[in-house]
Amino acid sequence: MSGSELILSATLRLDSFALDLDERIPLDGVTAVFGPSGSGKTSLLNVVAGFLRPHAGQVAFAEQTWFRATPGIWTPPHQRGVGVVFQDAQLFPHLTVQGNLNYAQKRAPADAPGHAYDDILSAMELNALLNRDVHALSGGERQRVAISRTLLSRPRLLLLDEPLSALDNARKGELLPFLETLKSDFALPTLYVSHDVDEVSRIADRVMVMEDGRVIATGRTDDVLSRFGLEAGRNPYEEASLLTGKVAKPHDQDGLIAVQIGAAEIWLAADLHTAPGTEVRLKIPARDVSIALARPTEISIQNMIPAKVRATEPTKRQAFQSVLLDIEGQTLRATVTRKAVQDLQLASGRSVFALIKSATFHH
Amino acid sequence: MPDLSSLWLTARLAFVTTLVLLLIGTPLAWWLAQTRSRMKPAIEAIIALPLVLPPTVLGFYLLIAMSPNAPFGGFWLQATGDTLSFSFTGLVIGSVIYSFPFMIQPLQSAFEGPVQQAMRTAASLRASRLDAFFTVAVPMSVRGFVTATVLSFAHTLGEFGVVLMVGGNIPDRTRVASIEIYENVETLNYASAHALSLILLMISFVTLFCVFLFNRRFPAHVRL
Repeated sequence: MSGSELILSATLRLDSFALDLDERIPLDGVTAVFGPSGSGKTSLLNVVAGFLRPHAGQVAFAEQTWFRATPGIWTPPHQRGVGVVFQDAQLFPHLTVQGNLNYAQKRAPADAPGHAYDDILSAMELNALLNRDVHALSGGERQRVAISRTLLSRPRLLLLDEPLSALDNARKGELLPFLETLKSDFALPTLYVSHDVDEVSRIADRVMVMEDGRVIATGRTDDVLSRFGLEAGRNPYEEASLLTGKVAKPHDQDGLIAVQIGAAEIWLAADLHTAPGTEVRLKIPARDVSIALARPTEISIQNMIPAKVRATEPTKRQAFQSVLLDIEGQTLRATVTRKAVQDLQLASGRSVFALIKSATFHH
Repeated sequence: MPDLSSLWLTARLAFVTTLVLLLIGTPLAWWLAQTRSRMKPAIEAIIALPLVLPPTVLGFYLLIAMSPNAPFGGFWLQATGDTLSFSFTGLVIGSVIYSFPFMIQPLQSAFEGPVQQAMRTAASLRASRLDAFFTVAVPMSVRGFVTATVLSFAHTLGEFGVVLMVGGNIPDRTRVASIEIYENVETLNYASAHALSLILLMISFVTLFCVFLFNRRFPAHVRL
């Protein structure tokens, strides 16, 4: 057994979800845990941190076994030396910024390797914030405090659970350099949970792609991202719309279900037997929505829904624009080329047809 | 002038009851806030029973359990040389059971959600569970503790049925203020009944007023 790996082989069944892992993660650099929400990224983190106990398998950090089913071994979270930075920072509300930092500092083992208090504070530019109430901090500031607090506890392994996801784009841009500093100056083995391709490509050395509670690919960041066609700027998991509707008719003989959204009807293929009247949510990828000015004929797309343009938005890629469409009061996002927006004059208020190539039930 | 000894007895009873409730209620509320046990709904229902049961029903069962002929009452008599029924200790046991939901429910809701998440955060910063309980959970739940303590205290002050069933009406021993008022009315001693009632009304109002003021003025947690 190599001494510099995180062995993560665990099966875990939760109410409606199963996690099935068998990974060996090198303990250097940043490993991104990448996948859509609900794919098990956070559960994986919870297993490593010790917040979830697997039913079977083994979790070992370097030469130390943290969990084994038989014979039973269990190291509780506070003895693992795993520092977790949560999505929403999770600063203690009853303590000031300084109090939060001291909380970690006081409990750090003196003999554990770590960085000096002052180095951490200046790297995260916290000196001006020390006496603030944690409620008075911006989202980015909260995350910098949370990262510093975690570093002060002298962890051996760092877990970052979507540290940017609670921030708007401008704040993300502000915090990203700090995450890069974290990587370069503090050099802790890190698992970085994210569903954002940009973040992953900037920060991670390697990527584990998760789907339905399993790791479906691992490898160097560039390799994995390109294998999945995930160049920076294109994010498969964020640019989708969720529409709420009611099942109008059960399965017909073509294997299609009709979902009623106001006066509009969307047909989709589904194995699901859902009673008419059941409320369902549909997930529609923005890239699978096209726009036409008139109802096209002789076309394979089944779903053509009358819609009104509400607004257009730039995307991360120069050539594309995001068009927000109003369907019965709900928003449907379409990603089309900037040229198409100009050619079709897709300005706010324009009546169009949304051509929906695919939709899935969203649970 | 009313006999103030009954007020003093009432205050002592409420104080001891609240203290006992804090000691046994805190771990139980903590367990309820984080358990995924299938027993949880059953236990919650049992704890909430005193809210809906007539106090006489509760008092009746307690009286039977405390009788020297019953296993529990007999054991107590053997162990302490004193009977439980018609004693101060018996009153405390009855009051603890009667006021149980008033301690458990505010504490349980204070301990749920954010506090449980904060416990994980504390663990990731190397705090043991006991350490994190006192340094994170308790300071974050101050409101819950204040509400639970005051409600239990005030509810015990106002008790009548259980106390009457279990304790009877022995001056200085089990005759609490509410029973003394009843007694005064029965003997047409309205002046004393008026005086005692007014005192109880004032105490209860001031206590509750303080809780609501505290909850409004105070942040949801203490600043350390």
